[in-house]
Amino acid sequence: MATVNSKRMDKKTWPKSNADVCIRCATCMAVCPVSRVTPLFPGPKQAGPGAERFRKSGDSSVDEWIDLCIGCHLCDMACSSGVNISELNLMAKAKYLDEKGRPLRDWFLTHSFLFAGLASFFSAITNFLLKNQAVKWIADSLLRIERRRELPAYQSPTFRQWFRKRPSSPPFEKGGDACLPLGGQGFEPYSKDRKKVAYFYGCYTNTNEVDVGKATVQVLEANGLEVILPPQECCGLPMLGNGNFKGARKMGLKNVPSLLKAVRSGLDILFSSTSCGHMIRHDYSHLLAIPGTEEVAHHLFDLFEFLRNLRERGNLNIHFKELPLKIAYFPPCHLRSLGIGLPALEILRLIPGLEIENIEADCCGMGGTFGFKKEKYEISQEIGKDLKEAIDRLNPEIVLTDCEGCRMQIRHLTGLKVLHPIQILRDALSDTK
Amino acid sequence: MHYDLIVMGMGLSGLMAARTAAEAGKKVLIIGKGMGCLTLFSNTIDVLGKIPEEARLKDGLSQWIQDHPDHPYSKVGLIGIDESLSSFTSLFQSPYSFQTIGDRNSFIPTGAGIMRPTYLIPDTMVAGVSGNKKALIVGFKGFRDFYAGYVANPLKWRGVTLSIPDVPNQEISATALSRWIEKRSFRERIGEEVKKRLNGETSVGFPALLGVNDPMGVKMDLEEKIGVEVFEIPTLPPSIPGMRIFNRFKEWLIRRGVNILSGYSISKVSLKGRRCEGIHVHHPPVSTLYSADHFILATGRFMGGGLKADRRRIFEPVFNLPVSQPGSQEKWFEKSFFDEHPVHRVGILTDSSLRPIGEAGKVIFENVRAAGTILAGHYCLDEKSREGIEIATGYWAAKNTFQI
Ligand code: SF4
Ligand code: SF4
Repeated sequence: MATVNSKRMDKKTWPKSNADVCIRCATCMAVCPVSRVTPLFPGPKQAGPGAERFRKSGDSSVDEWIDLCIGCHLCDMACSSGVNISELNLMAKAKYLDEKGRPLRDWFLTHSFLFAGLASFFSAITNFLLKNQAVKWIADSLLRIERRRELPAYQSPTFRQWFRKRPSSPPFEKGGDACLPLGGQGFEPYSKDRKKVAYFYGCYTNTNEVDVGKATVQVLEANGLEVILPPQECCGLPMLGNGNFKGARKMGLKNVPSLLKAVRSGLDILFSSTSCGHMIRHDYSHLLAIPGTEEVAHHLFDLFEFLRNLRERGNLNIHFKELPLKIAYFPPCHLRSLGIGLPALEILRLIPGLEIENIEADCCGMGGTFGFKKEKYEISQEIGKDLKEAIDRLNPEIVLTDCEGCRMQIRHLTGLKVLHPIQILRDALSDTK
Repeated sequence: MHYDLIVMGMGLSGLMAARTAAEAGKKVLIIGKGMGCLTLFSNTIDVLGKIPEEARLKDGLSQWIQDHPDHPYSKVGLIGIDESLSSFTSLFQSPYSFQTIGDRNSFIPTGAGIMRPTYLIPDTMVAGVSGNKKALIVGFKGFRDFYAGYVANPLKWRGVTLSIPDVPNQEISATALSRWIEKRSFRERIGEEVKKRLNGETSVGFPALLGVNDPMGVKMDLEEKIGVEVFEIPTLPPSIPGMRIFNRFKEWLIRRGVNILSGYSISKVSLKGRRCEGIHVHHPPVSTLYSADHFILATGRFMGGGLKADRRRIFEPVFNLPVSQPGSQEKWFEKSFFDEHPVHRVGILTDSSLRPIGEAGKVIFENVRAAGTILAGHYCLDEKSREGIEIATGYWAAKNTFQI
């Protein structure tokens, strides 16, 4: 079953291959989580620059294993020669799937934003269905969505609804001269006042983990900032990760004008999901050539990166109460690939009483939609096992990580309470919770 | 962001510099274009393999320093080298620690089937030292980076190749094999296989991939199953022992609050007079400025991109520091591959505190130092001194930066 969309993007916009600078040093082979757990994937050296030398644009694709690259970017970060390994893989994957056709399952997994609103509204029914064994069986056998994977539950009201309705809404929300109400045609420009920030919350926060969004708003407000929600759609990463450049670009073309408007009105934009953030900051311009992204990228910050900057200037609210908790923190691959260090760890270390350790493991194995796919579930679990062992060694009460995919996977693997770091920071700032 | 020290380069010298500064309570950023060369070259710690076999390292080094006044070791001095090695070994506590036997170089077998001198050896390799026991060498079918016979024959040992039951006819990577060996059930099977094939051997050598996390646990478990001593043999990259070193540093540095950025190159440096004020790190489309009071350049040689060559000359791409040149290009290489090539000795010239100097010995930047193999005046490949130079100069650069 293939979906309609099999036309490839204009090739001119694709990044150049630089496979020929590979010196075959095999450093990337030391870090690839997939080739570590299965001999089915030859690893970055072979899959990327190695195979690229034999790929000719006219020939049909022969890399049946290319789809096993989870897209973690760990190889890119290890390579001293600057080979764009994961990009080479992604492009080869796109070509392979373009030729072979994409399963309908991939369409469902990458278009969940289309029905998320409804799913939230009818969350009681949706969640019942998502847990229902018969439904899971159908999803498993017809769509090849692994039945052992819990499908994420939907919450109601959504984050956006909560934001609009909450009693403590700042005045700008009630219309007036500052902006148009949210959910409409967007908002009018603000004065160049940096005391306001825009927030890109991402689909998962909006419909499945509303408290992450709440905590973000609460922490920002506790730092004297006013939060604005620019109109936004799914960032498109699930599509990109599945080699659907065209679909991903479409999402980008919807998001960038709205984000650009926020930037041009003097706002910084923050994201709490490192995957969405990485997509907008780097992939939009580099892989998808979406106009206007560069300007957005310069004003787009990871939430904790932003808080760290506040702290550097002495503006961070650090009136934390004591939180005697034993916590393990996992830095998601996309956070590492942002190249900003581990700002959440830096900030959380300021909370008195909090015992926090970094989890020494490299990838959770979820890879966005990768871990939902029946044929990849085992690989995803094997990668996850190494992470679970690293967590077990630390024996924490709570695990924190900035990416929703990682949170899903770690819950699935360990059964522990897994939160976004902002939720703990919020708890440290509030007396009542 | 502002730091006390920014270290450029994530090889052993950069990691040592970061460790030394962090230990003194400094705020440190370490940035590397990749993850450095540890998984490429390093299994054990070479300090000076070239000295006579029976010589004690201290004596060998002090003679070397006398004979080579421009060598990096001569800048650091005996005491500095000693301190730096202690600092390195103190990072690796039992069960996976490094040791030296009688303060001399030890000879350990390698994947190429030769005995090679080296100084600090991880506990997993000690039983292979000097080939003092009759050993059985074990390879794995599908793991193409290690051939048991190739190792065993020249040493007059015996080699066997086991097939891995679950991966018939497939190539297997070092990390995958290393992960299999971490599993008890797998060890049970190979332990039994190996035991059956013993024929009077009193030790068993495996390629160096007895797990990443708990190699000593793996080694002891295998010994229990096989009944004789087990040791690891360094093999082709990626080096699992190198990964263990890298991981340990990373873990320690993160715990100390050091900011680690791997995968990004420095596009530009901000200079003011004879000081460096900051570096621009480019991650398209964003470029970020990091400022610091001090900088250490530990970007390695040609492979890591610390030195580059065009048709006319060899240059250093970050600060455009002067590089000692090997003369005109015809002189870079000798005719025979095995002769000493002048190009091997080029590098950054420095004063005794490792600040780069130009002609007439003038310090170029007050707050920039260089460390590691990028320095001039050594030929680490031939001297078998790579890790020693990296550890000693990384330590020395940080120590001098802060007058620790
Ligand atoms: S892609 Fe990079 S890390 Fe991998 S083998 Fe080539 S040069 Fe080495
Ligand atoms: S992106 Fe990740 S899974 Fe893919 S080749 Fe690189 S390291 Fe392996």
